[in-house]
Formats: sequence, C-alpha cells, structure tokens
Amino acid sequence: MSEAMDETPLDLAAERWRRPLGLALAVAAAAWGVLVATAPIDTMQGEIQKILYLHVPAAFASYAAFLTTAVAGAMYLWRERDEWDRLALCAAEVGVVFCTLVLVTGPIWAKGTWGRWWSWDPRLTVTLLLWFIYLAYILLRSFTEGSERTARFAAVYGIVGLLAVPLNYLAIDLFGGRAVHPENLGRGSLGEGMRAPFWTGVGTALLAFSFLTLLRFRLETERIRSARAAGAGMGA
Amino acid sequence: MNVLLAVLWKDLLSEWRSRDRAVAMLLFSLLVVVIFHFSLPPASPDEARTLAPGLLWVATVFAALLGLGRAFALELENDALSGLALAPADRGWIFLGKALANAVLIFAVQLVTAAALGLAFDVPLAEHAGRLAALLALGALGLAGAGTLFGAVAVRTRFRELVLPLLLLPLLVPVVVAGVRATATLLETGALAVEPLRLLLVTDAVFWIGSYVLFEFVLDE
Repeated sequence: MSEAMDETPLDLAAERWRRPLGLALAVAAAAWGVLVATAPIDTMQGEIQKILYLHVPAAFASYAAFLTTAVAGAMYLWRERDEWDRLALCAAEVGVVFCTLVLVTGPIWAKGTWGRWWSWDPRLTVTLLLWFIYLAYILLRSFTEGSERTARFAAVYGIVGLLAVPLNYLAIDLFGGRAVHPENLGRGSLGEGMRAPFWTGVGTALLAFSFLTLLRFRLETERIRSARAAGAGMGA
Repeated sequence: MNVLLAVLWKDLLSEWRSRDRAVAMLLFSLLVVVIFHFSLPPASPDEARTLAPGLLWVATVFAALLGLGRAFALELENDALSGLALAPADRGWIFLGKALANAVLIFAVQLVTAAALGLAFDVPLAEHAGRLAALLALGALGLAGAGTLFGAVAVRTRFRELVLPLLLLPLLVPVVVAGVRATATLLETGALAVEPLRLLLVTDAVFWIGSYVLFEFVLDE
C-alpha cells in the first residue's frame, strides 16, 4: 500500500502538471504585473482602485478552492481513496490563504474609498463566514484522531460548508446589509482598459491556486510517505 | 420508520426520566437573556421590545449548542454510540430519530424562553402564540438538523465542547437571521413575513436532506 501510494492518478497528474503550471503561472503573473502597472487610473478613486486587480481575483481563487474541497470530499466519501482527502485538505489550506488576502485587501480598499475599514456588506460578510467555515474545517481536522475518521468528518463538513454559502448569502441579503459592492461584472462596471488586467488577474489567481495546491499536495504525499516509512522502520 | 420511532422514543424517554439536559439548556438560555440584559444599554420598554427577537434567538441557539453537544456525549457512556452505529438499520433513520428528539427538546426550551422574555420585556407574545410557536418550531428543526449531524462529529473529537460551536455557528446564520426577522415582523404586524419564512424552510430542507444523506459517514463503529 505504502509503496503504491505515489502512483495514484492524482499524484501522477500532479507530477506531470507541475512544470507546465509553474511556467504558465510565471508568464501570467508577469503579464498581470505589466497590465496592472499600465492600467488607467480610476478618475473617481485614484490609484487605490488598482487593488481591485488583486482583491477580486483572490476571491475567485478562494471560491474555486472551497469548491475543490467540497468536490474532493465528496469523491473521498464515494471512492474512499486517500488522495481525494489529501486534495481536499490542500485546497482548503490554499483557499484560506486567498480568502485572508480578500479580507485584508477589502478593508484597505474600503478605508480608501468608502471611508471606513469594514462595512457589513453582503458579499464581504459572506466571505467572512466562508473564512470562518474553512478555518473550522482545518481545526476540525486537527482535533480529530485517526486519518480515516478525520477524512470522513472533514469531507462531511466541507460539503455542508459549501451548501451553506448560498443560504448565508440569502440570509445576509435578508438582513439588509447595505450593498456597497458593484452589482455584478456583466453590467460593465469595469471602465475602458480595465478588463484586460482584471481578467488576467483572475487567470493568474486561478493558476496560482492550482499551482500552490499542487505543491502542497506533493508535500502532503511526501509527509505521509515518510511518516509511514518511519512507522514501518519502528515495526521492523 | 420503526428505527426512527425507536430512536426518538428512546431519546425522549431517557430525557424525560432524567430531565437534566432540558433543565440545563433552559437555565442556560435564561441566563443568557439575563446577561444580555446587563450588557446592553438601559433601554426604554419600546426599545427593549425591539431587542427581544434577537435575544430570544441568540439565547436559544446558544442553549441548543449546549444540548446538541450532550446528545451524543450521553451515547458515549457504555459505548451506546457504537451499538447505535452497529444496529442493523439504515443510518438515515437513526439520524431522523435523533434529530427529531433534539428538535423537540430545543423547541421546548424556546417556548419557555419566549414566555419568560415576554414577561420580562413586556412583549405581547401571547397574542401571537400560535404563529410564534410555528416559527420557533421551524427554527428548532433547522438547529437540530445541522446540529445532530455535527453533534455526532464533535463528540468524536478532542475539545468537543469547543468544536461544535465553531462548526455550527457559521452554518446557522440563515436560521438566526430568518428567525429574528420573522419574529420582529410578527411582533410589529402580527403576520408572518414570507421571505424569512421561505429562507427558514429552504435552510431546514437543505440541512435535513444533507444530514440524512451524510449521517452514515459520521457514525463510528
């Protein structure tokens, strides 16, 4: 079992995609940097508006991460294969990093444009709750003993946590928080010349999420393998 | 179905015989109300009335967290939880029995807390007793739905008293918001508002269906 561990399709895919993904991320990040630097300055908000190119892409990445965690958790419950649980854990950890980035850049932007650090805006509040849910997810894992049980419990919480997101959104909407975020991107709230850096940022963030999760996944595989080798050594 | 009734009956009977969990939850709920009274600025009777819905839901959600943690802790004694997991029965039905028993208990605590709040804050709750009870029942179902699933999870972890609120509170926001909103509207207009009620129903449905399906993965043999 332990010898076959790194031969799972997921591990093979991680090995195969590591270099191409890293390369794509480097190119995308460079393009993003140039595009953001040369993007037009917002006439109303000034320079600070450029935080958009980090804030919103990070939010996309964190949502992608938590979706991955829930789907990988469901795959684990279905197939009972460890690598899905490893993927769920790694995506959640990377997701918390991006979610934290959203929650840090948001208030900086808010202080500069709305005049206050925090507003109980629906989208902000949902992201905050999401952050709580996935920190609870990671804590639950560290408080549970036994890898098989940890994987099961975490998968269940990851799935319910994702189901809770739309409910939380409806709830906060009902609560009547003042919506200060722009309605949506489809209505063209992005000005001339802002689309390219924005969507490049989204692409870069998604690539960064994939790449970091992949690296974290390989690390977790190594960690478990060396733990098992140590265990086997003790047994012999 | 028999499994559901058997588990429900067992839980309610053992609760009725000892009554310790219900009494503890109720006392805790009333204490939260008293503590909140002291932690909020002195309010006129009118202002106090606007605070009552929030107090009612916060106090009963906290009490529910306490009780839900105990629901499975009791089963750990004499390894009854393993017995339950080994029972040749569909675990979905075990969940439904446990969750219904929890809902009944939470509902009872809610009713008494509501009555006490009505008296203490001079809120005319009696006029709307039927509607308020229906609303509280829907809230109790939502709390018990998610709470029973993660009660079974938390009981198998270290620091289980700490784990359960951390897991549950971010999920229970819809129940609290819808409950508080609907209660406030009920006190103001005497009618049940559609929107919070719909949210409460949808949340209940999501939690119960999700927990029914996922419960088999949280019971350990």
